[in-house]
Parts: sequence; C-alpha cells; structure tokens
Amino acid sequence: MKQIEKGYLSAAFVLALAAILFVACGAPAAPPAQTVRETVVVPQTVVAAQTVVAPQTVVVPQTVVAEQTVVVQPTAAPNPEAVIKDVEPNAEVSLWTFWLSPTFDDYIKSTIARFEATYPGVKVNWEDHQATFQDDLRNAFAAGNAPDVINLSVGEGWVSDYATKGLLLPLDDKVPQDVKDLYFKGLWEEQLVDGVNYQFPWYQGISVELVNMKVYSDGAGLKLEDFPKTVDGLPELCQTIKDKTGTLCNIRLTVNDLLAQMVYEGGVKILSEDGKTCTFDSADGAAWLQMYVDMVKAGTVDRSVLVTDQDRVGLDLFTSGNSAFYQTGPNLIREVRANNPGLYGYLAAVPAPVGKSGVLGKGLMGISVKNDTKFPNASIALAQFFTNPESMLEFSKIVAVYPSTPKSYDDPFFAAKPIAVEDSAKPIAKDIVSKYADIVPTVPNKADVNEAVLQAVQSALFDNVPVQDALTTAAKACTELINK
Amino acid sequence: MSKRFSLTPYLFLAPALIIITVFILYPTAAVVYYSFTDYNIVQPPEWVGLQNYQQLLRDPIFWKAFTNSFLYLIVTPTLIFLSILLAIVVNRPLPGINVFRALYYVPVISGTIAVGIAWRWLFDYNGGLINGILVGIGILPAPVQWLAEPAFTLPIAMLLTIWIGLGYYMMVFLAGLQNIPEDLYDAAVIDGCNPVQKHWYVTLPGLRPQIVFVAVISSLAAIEVFNEIYVITGGLGGILNSGVTMVFYLWRQAFRLQHAGYASAVAMVLLLITLAFSIINIRLLERSEQNT
Repeated sequence: MKQIEKGYLSAAFVLALAAILFVACGAPAAPPAQTVRETVVVPQTVVAAQTVVAPQTVVVPQTVVAEQTVVVQPTAAPNPEAVIKDVEPNAEVSLWTFWLSPTFDDYIKSTIARFEATYPGVKVNWEDHQATFQDDLRNAFAAGNAPDVINLSVGEGWVSDYATKGLLLPLDDKVPQDVKDLYFKGLWEEQLVDGVNYQFPWYQGISVELVNMKVYSDGAGLKLEDFPKTVDGLPELCQTIKDKTGTLCNIRLTVNDLLAQMVYEGGVKILSEDGKTCTFDSADGAAWLQMYVDMVKAGTVDRSVLVTDQDRVGLDLFTSGNSAFYQTGPNLIREVRANNPGLYGYLAAVPAPVGKSGVLGKGLMGISVKNDTKFPNASIALAQFFTNPESMLEFSKIVAVYPSTPKSYDDPFFAAKPIAVEDSAKPIAKDIVSKYADIVPTVPNKADVNEAVLQAVQSALFDNVPVQDALTTAAKACTELINK
Repeated sequence: MSKRFSLTPYLFLAPALIIITVFILYPTAAVVYYSFTDYNIVQPPEWVGLQNYQQLLRDPIFWKAFTNSFLYLIVTPTLIFLSILLAIVVNRPLPGINVFRALYYVPVISGTIAVGIAWRWLFDYNGGLINGILVGIGILPAPVQWLAEPAFTLPIAMLLTIWIGLGYYMMVFLAGLQNIPEDLYDAAVIDGCNPVQKHWYVTLPGLRPQIVFVAVISSLAAIEVFNEIYVITGGLGGILNSGVTMVFYLWRQAFRLQHAGYASAVAMVLLLITLAFSIINIRLLERSEQNT
C-alpha cells in the first residue's frame, strides 16, 4: 500500500513539475491579458505494481483523478490595424510631420507606440518641422537623407510637386483595395499625377468663416444667417462692413495656387482638353479676377492680406479683433482663443461661401512615402496607420480636424451636439468631407505658372492693367511654360 | 644655408583654412558652377551654359531688384548723418547719459524679425500707431494701407534698417569722438567758429576713419538687405515687386520657385557688385588712414 501511495505522490510531483516548467517556458511575446489560468480535472493513468499471493508481480492499470492548474495560451488574433502585409523585419523608418509639435506631441508619440506594437520590430524616428518644413525637406532630398514617411499638404499642392519630380512612392499598386476603400474616394484620388495616387489622405479641415460678432453684428448690423452662401456675395458684404464700421474685409487670395482658386471659385477651365494650352483668360477667368479688382478699387479689402502667402497674416488680423470675418479651419480657433481670449466670446462660425464650381473644397493634409525608401512596406504601413479610422478618430477628439475615413464618423463623438464654436462643423463634417474633390488638373511647371499668374493678377489689382489683358499675358506665358 | 621645412605653421593655419574652405571657398565655387546649370535643389543639376545669365538680362523683375538694391543705399548717408548727430548728443556729460546710450543700442540687440513684426503693427491699417496719430491730428482724412502701397514699401523697410542700425553706428562714432582732442575744439572756438562750424571743421575730419568704416559696412549691408523686406512685405516682396531687392529675389528664385541655378546667377551678379564695393571702400579706407 505504501508503494501505491508513493506512486501517487511521485506522479503528482512529476505533473506539478511539468506544469511549472510549462508555465516558465511559455511564449514570452504573448500579452498577459490573454493568459487564462483555470483548474481542470484531468484523468490520469497511473501504473502501479501489485504483489499477489503467487510470487509474481502483475501490472494493473488504474485510473486516478488529480486536480492541477494549467495555462491556456490562446493564439493571438491578427491585429485589425495591421493591414499592410510583408512589413520588413527590423525596419527603422523616419517620419516628418508638419507643424504638429509641441501641441500634439502626446498624440503623435502614442500613435507611434501603438504602431510599433501593431507591427513588432519596426522602429519609428519622428521629427516635426515647422516654418522651414519645405526648405528642410528639399535640402534633405538633395542630401539623400529625406524621411521615409512625410506629412505633405494636399491643399498647397505639395504632393503633386514632389510626385512630379519622381520623389514619392506611387501607392495604387502597393496598397490593397480593401485598404484604399477605407478612405473617401474623392480624397484618395486627390493630387493624382498621371492618374496615380501618391498620398494617404490624412486629417481634413472644413473651411468656415469665423465671424467677429462685435464688428459684424454690433457694428455693421448684419445677421449671421445672411452671411453670403456664395463667393460672389462677398463684394456687397465688404462694402456694407466698410461703410458701417470702416473695417476692411480680411480676404486672402491663395497666392501659392491661384489656378486652383480660379477653378473652385470662378468655375474657370484652366487648361484645354489636350492639356497643351492655358485657357484661363476666358470670360469666366476675367469675371473671377474682376470681382477682386472691383473690391480693391472700392477700398473694401485689406490689400496686404489679399496677396500675402501667409495664412498667419490674415489670422493675426482677425485675432486682433480688427476684421469682421476670416475664412479658416475650426482647428485654428484655439489660436484666436489663446491670443485674444476677449474675442472668443464674440466668435461665431458659418459655412464658407462656395464658388461657381459648387465643389466644397479639397483635402488638407496627406501622408506620402519617399520613392527610394529602404523599407517601402514598413513606410506604407506607418503612413496608413496614422491615417486609419482609429488614429483619425483619436486625433479629431483632441483638435477640430476631420477624418478622411468614413468609418471614423460612426463614433458617437461626431453625433454629439456641438457646444464650443470649434465644434460647430462636427455634425456636418462627414457630409462635407465626403464631397471634397480635387478638380484642378495637373499643371506642369506649376510654381512658374503660378508666378506668372500672380504677376498678372497683381498688375490687374494694383496697376490698372485691364483684367483681360493681364490674363491674356499670363495665359500666354503659362502655355509656354507647360510645353517647356 | 638651406631653409628647413616646418609643418608647425601649417598646423596652426589648418583649423582656419579648413573652416574657410568648407564654409566659404567650396560654397562659392559651388555657386559658380550652379549658375551655369538648371538646378532645382532636389534633383541633380543639368549644365545649361550661359542660359541663366542671358535670362537675367531679359528679366524685368531682376532689373527691378537691381534698382531697388541700389536705391536702398540711401540708408548709408542717412545712417552716417543721424548716427554722428546722435553720437554728438550722447557725447555730452549729461546726467544719466549712459542710460540714453544703452536705450539707443536696444534696437541693435533686438531681433530683426521681432522688430519687423512690431513695425508691421505700427503701419497697420487697423489701429496702427502711425495711422492713429496722423488721422488723430487731422493730417490724414482716413487711414492709409501703408504696407500695401508700392510707393511706401522700400521707404518703410529703409526706416526700419536705419532704426535698427542707428545705435550700433552711434557707438562707433562715439568712440571716434572721444579720440578727438578737446584742444582742437578750443582752438576752433578761439578762431571764431560757431557750434556748427566747430563740428564741420573739427568733428567731421576727426571722424573720417569711422565714417569710411561705417560707409563700408552699412553699404554692404544695404545691398544685401533681406530680413526687413521679408518681414515688412509678409514674404511677398511687396505689391508689384515694390520691395524686391537682389537678395530677396535670389531667395525667391531659389526657395520659392526652386530655381537654384538661376538664383546662383543672381548671386554671382551680387558677388561682383559687393566685390566692387569692397574694393572701392578698402581703397577709401586706406586713403583715409594715410591722411590721418
């Protein structure tokens, strides 16, 4: 009998030791939350030696019941955010963002941490560049050490600028269709160069007119609901404000991309069908420019804001309280609040007036990948990760920017009734962003063409050159430049 | 007796030579090369021969910038005159004069960009101090958009340059004034000079080395002006290119339009101009030293 007891004890000891070893040698990468410990009943067969009357030993198999702790280690499910395959092991990718630090350091760092957990082994080196972003990036490309993943402005046309120089990675063939489908179609198809996409659409802005009710309502006696719905209502509004308050309109031409402004605001066709002739010296083009010339002649617009290429100049003027309205993104309301808290209580926001094209606008920011990156899949994965529905939603929760992914808008956050003026566009954001489209054709030598158009526009605005003459001169120069 | 070669002097010279080569000689040589290329910074340069220089000759904005840069030289005599005047004032043993000297020097140590932004507000249409005063005392019937009037762009930038530089040049002249013996002034008074004649016949000749030095420094700075134009015009160069100077145009071509090759050609013209200025100024300086 003692032998039998000894056998039980030995078996229990061996099993306990095995269990301890099993636990100790388990896969270390498994997240602890997925480890389940439970007590189970395990049937065991123990071999016991029995001595019977006859002097011989027989072997009797016996079934015994023992209680023990086992560890259930479930197989990790694929991370739903890991949508890019074949990411290079141990890749180290660099990321440059545009003017997000230090305000959004926590968000960027936490998103990178989430990315590194989703794609284990990939390391991200992040840098934020601000006013010198473009200079830094060009110098980096020239020096051969440009970042792998780059935050580029779609609104300013940076994506097509770099893509036409062959510096960005074409994405259409490298991104699975189900991933492309995560984005609004209009945004995915922005800044195409020869029909090819080079950017993951990132955060979007919604242009609103920020209204200083102290000037607009108290001073000029205007009602918010009467704010013009279309661009051609601005001259009359500016005249009223000037007459009643002496304040000038704070309107800015997009001097870095005047052709785009012509297209959106004036419904101007800028290129011929074959793309070889500039056609913006049309009646539509002349009407568009004439509207601004008339406002300048009437003295109703601040001329230094009108032709500045720095949004800050107009924003600063608005923030100082010396203008009735300014078109910007709700995300910049925080700057108004920070720099002139007294004005914040007088702020209201209305949708920005649309132009003749009827298109509400185009995208704001994208993320692109360097063409000659050593780690294309890891870089694509990072660009995609920052622009995926989860990352976008988290970003929108901390600042008034809007996702490029329809799924993000399913979150109750977007259904909540806005309280602060910053959130005024939230309930209508999905509808607006879904309609964004890039309707401006790709123009070769765009910077030079824009410079020629800018000189012409200035000569009409400030040097009494007839609008038609100015545009004809610019169109001729443009045609030469695009065929160079 | 043969001279033995010694490495030691070359080792002493090496740090300076390396720095000069890396930061001056190599970039200068590179700019000479780029001026004959089509180069957009991000892609390799392509040789185009004299094309950039031919284009310069036909470029009306370049000639506008060229003219504006020479117009900007007006700041040099203005600065010399005003800073001598200021130096004479603060050279008097008045109570608390050191405080005034320090105050006049404050703009020198203030950043041009910060000062420029402040000046934008001074000339602002809405609530700017200049409009406020001129409208307030009835000189102007209504505020003026100073910064958007092409005729005012350069003068406002020049005023800013003068305001920033006045304190520095005042100190230079103050040091010169303190080296002029008091006996000369006494002799001038005995000879019947009035206060103005005293400065005309004694102070100005006594300050000749400083005047030449200030002329050299300030004219070179004027021909290379950039910061004031950039800030005052919000990076545009002024309406109708009214504030575009050669360095501003160079910057715009290189960094806005990505024509680094063309910008290098502008830089070469600028280099030749500043070289000519430097030679003239050095000759003047030498002559001034010989005369004293």
